[in-house]
Amino acid sequence: MALTVPTRKPPTDAATAAEPVFRVDGLWKVFGPKAERVPADPELSALGPAELRARTGCTAAVRDVGFEVRKGEVFVVMGLSGSGKSTLVRCLTRLIEPTAGTVAIDGEDVRAMDKARLRALRRHRAAMVFQHFGLLPHRTVLDNVAYGLQIQGVGRAERRNKAAEMVAKVGLSGMEHRRPGQLSGGQRQRVGLARALAADPEVLLFDEPFSALDPLIRRDMQEEVIRLHQEEGRTMVFITHDLQEALRLGDRIALMRDGRVVQLGTPEEIVGSPADDYVRAFVRDVPREQVMTVRTAMRPATADQAGSGPALAPHATVAEAIEAVARAGAPARVVDRGRCLGVVDSEALLGVVAGTTGPGTGTDPKGTTGAGTDPEAV
Amino acid sequence: MATLTAPAPRAVPAVLKHHAVRKLAFLALLAAVLGPLAAARWGGPAWPHTLTVDLTGPLTGVSDWIIDNRDSHPLFLYFFGHLSNAVVVSVRAVYLFLLAAGWAGVTALAAAVAWRAAGARLAVGTAVAFLACGALGMWVPTMQTLALMVVAVLASVVVGALLGLAAGLSDRMDRALRPVLDTMQVLPAFAYLLPVVLVFGIGVPAAVLATVVYAAPPMARLTALGLRGADGEVLEAVDSLGATARQRLLTARLPLARRELLLGVNQAIMMALSMAVIASVIGAGGLGDRVYQALASVDVGAALAAGIPIVLLAVVLDRVTGAAGARLGQERTSGRPWLPAAAALAATVVVAVAARLAGRPQWPTSWTVAIAEPVDRAVDWMTAHLYSGVPYVGGTADWAGHFTTWVLDPVRSALLWLPWWSVLLIVAALAWLIGTWRTALTAVAALAVIGVLGVWQPALDTLSQVLAAVAVTLVLGLATGIAAARSDRFDRLLRPVLDVFQTMPQFVYLIPVVALFGVGRAPAVAAAVVYALPAVVRITAQGLRQVDAAALESARSLGATSGQQLRQVQLPLARPALLLAVNQGVVLVLAVVIIGGLVGSGALGYQVVFGLAQGDLATGLVAGVAIVCLGLMLDRVTQPTERRATKGA
Repeated sequence: MALTVPTRKPPTDAATAAEPVFRVDGLWKVFGPKAERVPADPELSALGPAELRARTGCTAAVRDVGFEVRKGEVFVVMGLSGSGKSTLVRCLTRLIEPTAGTVAIDGEDVRAMDKARLRALRRHRAAMVFQHFGLLPHRTVLDNVAYGLQIQGVGRAERRNKAAEMVAKVGLSGMEHRRPGQLSGGQRQRVGLARALAADPEVLLFDEPFSALDPLIRRDMQEEVIRLHQEEGRTMVFITHDLQEALRLGDRIALMRDGRVVQLGTPEEIVGSPADDYVRAFVRDVPREQVMTVRTAMRPATADQAGSGPALAPHATVAEAIEAVARAGAPARVVDRGRCLGVVDSEALLGVVAGTTGPGTGTDPKGTTGAGTDPEAV
Repeated sequence: MATLTAPAPRAVPAVLKHHAVRKLAFLALLAAVLGPLAAARWGGPAWPHTLTVDLTGPLTGVSDWIIDNRDSHPLFLYFFGHLSNAVVVSVRAVYLFLLAAGWAGVTALAAAVAWRAAGARLAVGTAVAFLACGALGMWVPTMQTLALMVVAVLASVVVGALLGLAAGLSDRMDRALRPVLDTMQVLPAFAYLLPVVLVFGIGVPAAVLATVVYAAPPMARLTALGLRGADGEVLEAVDSLGATARQRLLTARLPLARRELLLGVNQAIMMALSMAVIASVIGAGGLGDRVYQALASVDVGAALAAGIPIVLLAVVLDRVTGAAGARLGQERTSGRPWLPAAAALAATVVVAVAARLAGRPQWPTSWTVAIAEPVDRAVDWMTAHLYSGVPYVGGTADWAGHFTTWVLDPVRSALLWLPWWSVLLIVAALAWLIGTWRTALTAVAALAVIGVLGVWQPALDTLSQVLAAVAVTLVLGLATGIAAARSDRFDRLLRPVLDVFQTMPQFVYLIPVVALFGVGRAPAVAAAVVYALPAVVRITAQGLRQVDAAALESARSLGATSGQQLRQVQLPLARPALLLAVNQGVVLVLAVVIIGGLVGSGALGYQVVFGLAQGDLATGLVAGVAIVCLGLMLDRVTQPTERRATKGA
């Protein structure tokens, strides 16, 4: 299956400096009897899942997780089922109460909030989209979308207007008076999305929203999310077990295994320099030319090359560069704001596709430390 | 992980067999030690007299005290008295309203409600049913029963919904209530009559309260079930939107449980009708009373004239409330949903007023059809021609006689011949093999209480009838169920019959059997079989049909004959359903065998009736407790182990 990553916008440097939307640090969620002793005890917290289970009867769904979600980015948490990613996203708004660690939204400690403050957070600041939609079967589409506003105490006419607007935004006009039971899976998830958008939250949380959908519909919905993100620039935290989905949507990806984040980075970093064998096995089949950018493949330009050949933006994918190079029959320049950063030729591009060059080569463990072309480090 | 769990399936049967052998060995040892001991100490097969406690004295004392203090003690003055008055006043008010509306008004109102809730076809059916009640000359008793029903159902629904709400929202309440409700579900209706009579005396309040006690548990169970069965993700979504606890309950949990709530109302109505009819024994009046009086004088014609309205009422109430539940989620949102309802109400008022102006508020006597006499004539003809002496096949009375002498008598003598301690051991063995040591202990304790109360002999008499009826029910029921599961055409033919039979109150089953077999133990057994059969057939057929289609398909792909499929795949896989069928069969049979006391089946049921009729509450109460214990014992003996789905997480 071809993976087409939409042309990625350059990392927003301005946002990087601002206060993060979510700041998570040392977060633990342990299920089981006397769960709170596990994070506190260094001996217990070092145990593997099976041993912990045998010793204490507890299961650690999230273990010592820390990350920041920056304003305006799509932050993807990805992992296989049972890796703790769904628990993690629920800890963000305390739908599941964390066992230890800190969660802060815009610098405000979520774990310290009282009930009313927490309700205000859920009502206005963070809205969630669920895997199985979580719609109320006895309400029409319109009333489902308006439900969040009703909870907030918004008047009937106003909330219906707002809901109708959201229904139109997700492309469900004309279906306002149907019930969830009369909709297809994709349409239901559009309702879920509209309900989350209706509250105009600062951040949208997605919990595997498209994994219950057919592949084609899933693709439509992913494009819908990309479109919404481009239009509104809303911060999104997106949970998925689908690597391709993660690569398509994510500005940054946190890859989880057994409750821990094993690697956190841009799609290019994850694919280009896997942190360990687990990640490497995970990304083995990813078409690298569609994820890696020409930054990875380029080498310094000689004086005569800097003036000629097709120009590419630094965030253009290797696949695009291959097309340009093949067409021109000559190396292509990587140009950023009129300045030539370097050139890519067919040899360098082939090296990326084969996985023999680049920041972290798939087969050479030494390569992970070698190249200093980390885009974040520039 | 896979390698770890692989050997488990092979190990389980071996372990099970081992367990079964160990359980039996333990009980055999117990028998070997205790048997001779008991035989030497007390001797004789009957429950030893020294081990009984005579409760007649204290119970009579309590009953007398209540009668003496009913008008003076503050408990009665300020609690039971008000309760009783409230019930009388509200039943009276509803009854007067129904009479004031007149036959035309009531019929129009019922049809209007049916139309709004269930559609035009059922509205017509409802109107016809009500007119039929009038035509049979039973309008006034029907209204009496209906008035009692309205009050009892409202109270049951409110009480049941509140209990269900508590159990649905609080785990602790659920743990406390569930065993109580489960047990109430398996007890025969008759057992509920005496305690209320003790407190309220015979009359309408006692009848209404017995009905409420009987009809509220299913409402409570279903409410709790609906609240607990709500889709977890929906509730999580509601939380994620920042709902308060109250918003969550009102806008999500209760609406999500609508289907179960409506089913609960349906169940409460059906149970209430069943009980309202039986409660004629304690002064409910109405249709049940007509049947009761007629049965007492073996007047089948009169019993049938009152029985048909009961059946019509049952079918109409069940279909209308059932259809209302099935329509959920399909309703269209029209602009003004109240408009048709208002129109229907207006039409009802117009019809009622018109009938009043026409001078016919009460059902005109000239419009009644007296069916009692032709029915009596038919029964006389049957008595003369079918009871006995029919060439080759014998007659119905002969059959009943043969059944009594060849089946009921031997079973009863065998049970009474067995030493009492061996009966306890047999019960323990059965309950332990099918269930857990806990169910076995409950069953044995329940049986022991019967012995201690000194009603060992009548209880075993009742038990013999139950065993005979259950055997017949299971043979017929399983065979019919298997046939229905294997033939779609047969299933389609059977379904409406089962639907009607399952909605009829227990009481009305006594009418046809008395017509056919006269009075005695055999007719009671026959009524019990007919009453329990539909449930057994239905559960069996459903269990067989719900067997995993993939397993069946794989058996077919290996070339299994249909007989092999049935024996080797369907029946083993449907084992839980078959055990449930047995359990339900036993519970339902017991309920009717007890009521059989009204048609001469004797034993515990008769003692209850006798106690009520003679005002000898002590006898009745002891028999009532014995019935409760017998029901508990029979349910526990046939209750399969509930396997925990997952241990730990």
